[in-house]
Parts: sequence; C-alpha cells; structure tokens
Amino acid sequence: MFEDLRRLVGRIADAFKRRFYGPTFRCPVCHLVLAAIDADGNGLLVCPVCGAVLEIESVYGHVVPVVLDMEIHRPQPKLRLHPLATHLPIGLFPFAVLGALLLAGASLARQLGLGGILGAVSRRAPLVADATLVLLVVAVGFSLATLASGLWDWNFRYRRRSYRQIRVKIAFAIGFLVLGAAAIALHLSGAVFSSADGLMRLGSPGGVAAAFTYLGALLADMVVVATLGHIGGTLVFGG
Amino acid sequence: MDFTPTPRQQELVERAREFTREWISPNAARYDRSGEFPRDICREAFKRGFMNPHVPKEYGGAAEAVVDHCMVMEELATGCSGIATAIDGNGLSQYPVILAGTDAQKRRFLAPMTEELAFSAYAVTEPEAGSDVSRVRTTAAKVGSDYILNGVKWWITNGSVASWYFVLARTGETLTGFIVPADSPGIVRGPKEVNLGQHASNTVRVTLEDVKVPEAFRLGDEGKGFDIAMATFNHTRPGVAAGANGITKAALNIALSYAKRRRTFDKKLISNQGISFKLAEMMTRLDAARFLTYKAAWLFDQGIDNAREAAQAKWFAADVAMSAAVECAQVLGGYGYTQEMPAEKLIRDAKIYQIYEGATEIQKMIIVSKLLRMKEVH
Repeated sequence: MFEDLRRLVGRIADAFKRRFYGPTFRCPVCHLVLAAIDADGNGLLVCPVCGAVLEIESVYGHVVPVVLDMEIHRPQPKLRLHPLATHLPIGLFPFAVLGALLLAGASLARQLGLGGILGAVSRRAPLVADATLVLLVVAVGFSLATLASGLWDWNFRYRRRSYRQIRVKIAFAIGFLVLGAAAIALHLSGAVFSSADGLMRLGSPGGVAAAFTYLGALLADMVVVATLGHIGGTLVFGG
Repeated sequence: MDFTPTPRQQELVERAREFTREWISPNAARYDRSGEFPRDICREAFKRGFMNPHVPKEYGGAAEAVVDHCMVMEELATGCSGIATAIDGNGLSQYPVILAGTDAQKRRFLAPMTEELAFSAYAVTEPEAGSDVSRVRTTAAKVGSDYILNGVKWWITNGSVASWYFVLARTGETLTGFIVPADSPGIVRGPKEVNLGQHASNTVRVTLEDVKVPEAFRLGDEGKGFDIAMATFNHTRPGVAAGANGITKAALNIALSYAKRRRTFDKKLISNQGISFKLAEMMTRLDAARFLTYKAAWLFDQGIDNAREAAQAKWFAADVAMSAAVECAQVLGGYGYTQEMPAEKLIRDAKIYQIYEGATEIQKMIIVSKLLRMKEVH
C-alpha cells in the first residue's frame, strides 16, 4: 500500500519534471537533476548547487555533460537568508491545515451528533479557529519575505541564470500566496466559520460549498508548499 | 554487391532514430533506475509500427525483412537496449508460431497482436536447462484431447506482461512446442528478477502447475519442438546482434562526444593517441559487426541456411559491444564509472548479449559444427 503510494507520487513527480524540465540529466559532480534546456547558446550550464561548469551535448538523445571548470569563487554569503526564511512558512502551514481539518471533523461530528475527541475540539472551536487563522496569516504573510529572499539569492548567488527549478519555485511561490490569501479571505469572511460556535457552517449548501473551497485551497497549498520545499532541498543538498 | 540502403530502408532508419531520440534515450536512465516495464514507450513503438514487424501480412503484420528489422533494432538499442528488448521481445515467441503454427493458431495468437498492444514470451529456459535445451524437464502429459503441463520456466523475457507463451515441454523422450495462454489456470508468474543490466526488460520465472493446454495449441507434431525452438534462433540472432551493435554505437557516440570536449594537459582529450585510437578501433569493430549482422540477416531473407553466419554475428557483435562499453567508460575516466553518465549502464547492458539467446561459447560450437561438415573453407 505504502509502496504503491510512493510509486504513484514518483510517477506524478516524473511526469511533472518531463513536462516542465524537458530532457534532464544529472550533474556528474553533485547529482542534481538539471534541465538540458537551461544550457546557454554555447551549450554551457553552471550547476546551481556545486558550481560545476558543464558543457552539454546531446548524442542520440543521451545528454553527455563534460565538466570544464568549477565555479569556486561564486557568491556564497555566510548567511543564506532564503533557506532560513523558507522554514517558517513551511513549518507553520501544515499546522494551520491540521487546525482546519480538526475543525472540519468537529463540525461534521456536531452535525452527526458524535462525541469523542472531535466533540472536545468542537467545545474549543473558537480557540482552534483563531489559532488556525493566526498560523495561516503568519505562514502566508511571512512567505512574502521568503519569496523576496529567494529572489535575492537568485540575483546574487545564481547570477540570474535560467534554471527550471527556480522558475518553478517562483511560480509555485506565487501560487502559494494566492491560494493562502484566498483561504485567509474565506476564513475572515464568515462564510466558512460561524461566529457563534467557531465551527464550519455545514448546515446550509452555501456553507458546505464555502467549507469545501476553504479546505480545497488549504490542501492544494499544502501540495504546493511541499513541492517548494522538495525543490528547495535539492538546490541545497543536490540530487 | 551493393552496400547502399534502399530509400525505404533509409526512411525506416530515420523514423527509428527519431523515435529513439525522442522516446528511448531520454527515458533510459529512468527505467534503468526504477526497473519498471516501459509500457508507455512500447505503446508508442506499437503506434509507429516498430513492434511485431515480422508477422505475415495476411495476419495484419508488415512481414518486414530481417535486414530491415536489424537496422531498426540497432537504432532502438542505441537509446537503451533494455527498452529495445521490451519492444522486440515478442519476436522470439512469435517466430515459432510463424514457422510451425497452423492458420487457426496464427489467426488466434498473431493477428490480435497487430491490432492492439500485447506481449508474448518465449518460455524455453529452465533453472537446470539453459544453453543445453535438451535438458528441459517441463512435462506435457497427454490426457484425452488435452496436454497437462508441469514445470518451471526461468528468465522469461516479457514473462509478466505476456498474454501467451511459447512453451517447450517434454513429451516422452522428445520435446514438443505449445502455445499456452497466460490466463490458463495453473500459470504462476514470479517476481521480476533483479539483473545486472537491461533493467527495463521484464524477466521473470513462470511456473506451470497442471496447466491444461488443448491439442489445438500444440505447435507442429509431437517431438518437433526442439527443431522449432532452434530454427527460431536463425531468425532472431541477427536481430540480437543488431541490438549489440546499438550498444557499440551508443558507446562510440558518447566516448567521441566526450573526448572532443574534455580537456586534459591543456589539450582536448581526443588529441591523445591513446584515446583516439580507442575510438578508431571501436568504429572499425562496429562496422565489422554490422557486416556480419547484415549478412546473416540477408541470408535468412534469401531463404538460405544462415545458422553459421547468425552465430558468428551474434558472438562477434556481443563481444564488440562489451569491449566498446568498457572502452567508453575508460575514455570518460572516473565519470565513466558513475551512474550519472551513461557509460556504466552500457557495460551492464552489454554483458547479457554474450549470454542470452545462446552464450558466446554455444555460438562457437555452432560455427565449429558447420566447419566440421566442410572439406575446404572458401
């Protein structure tokens, strides 16, 4: 079961890479997966992780990189802000999602007349809802600083070179902001949560639709932030 | 004597080359690492007409000449010989049916394979019977109008994806061939074997436990199985040699590309004679292997006995591929020894060509057996 799930995720990731990266190869020094399309007009590409200067040639569809040089004197600030800044939103966001899921479970339990742990959560629903909102706002709000530090890194450390990974990260970071902002707006609007008991409004079709939209935005954002973290991890540690 | 490919052959090779560059090479490392069966690539190969090329026209095939098939195989194997084996694996099991099957058998088992993607497998090898096929122990006992098969088949290419098998089984003192549908009760497919190379090729154990096979699925007469199984190799060995030539071509291309760009001692690697001579030798051996391959294929297409030439081609091309893969890694130096570069995979993939479809030593035995019947060699 777990192995099947792992394979499925692997296939999705492979399909994603094929779609966005095109033909790929591994840096022969640090093993990072690189997109052949990122090479410049002379077929040169500098590995963003290890600084290997690679000359790329495709023979019979096989990408054959040759290491010409190592970019040793590249800007490597002692304090790299982006890897540090990225952990606040990545660390807090899953707990915001957990809070929202607990509230959804408690709201459903209330509708069905169930007790147990979810009943206990429902009694503290206003507190959980507030905590969820705070976590959301801090995670999504701070991601602006994370995005800015990422752009700073790209400008100086990576010399604004074209890397598929960084393009995908910028697109996904914007996606994270948009989805997160939508979830915060829904949370604050009162369409999802009742001001009386802090639970989701599952009694009306409109309330159910709002709750589904809210949870959908959060779960989609969870996938986005996990992908961002994964790609970021490869840019720090290699393949 | 004309060595020029026909316009049709040139067009075929260009189509195969384009397919290789677009579908096989970019995915070679992925399937090598995952060991998954490349069904998506096989599906595309099927759409483009690269599967089942030798099925006769009256059963929906293209009845492609073996020479043409060898040209295509060399291209596909240049991308990945494991994926090429998955694409071409059907041929080994289809040929016994083409050779000895009745019209009804061909319509039932060959024709559907030209209409939609399907696989079949040649189930002859057993744990105790590899090169020595006469040691096959799987039994086929006649019970009424059926045969009951029991035995273990080993290292069966396409074994877990096949919809039917060509099975060689013992009927008394002799061997007989059968077509066995894969969904027959009693067929148990084992897990995929983890081999040294060709990870994209599916190789499994297939166990037959009281498998009932109707007499109508027997290939040829009782006792003719060994001849059918051996005659199949005259058709398939040139194709196997062509696959080995594909590995040699990949090794040469990768080594050449690398040597022209890598710098050592303030000059290009290829400027060193020790390296450039390796490339010259690889190119020459590749051409020699190709000539043997195409001659063996051409003889088959002319209806002339090619057993010796097919054995020569298979043996020589396999050895050339193995040495070319090793030399490619040598040209790449330390990078040739890493998984990040394609050279080490070529070494792992090349080795099997010296073993399957008759080990190198068996090929030499075939050649000697032919020599023994000659008074003079001309």
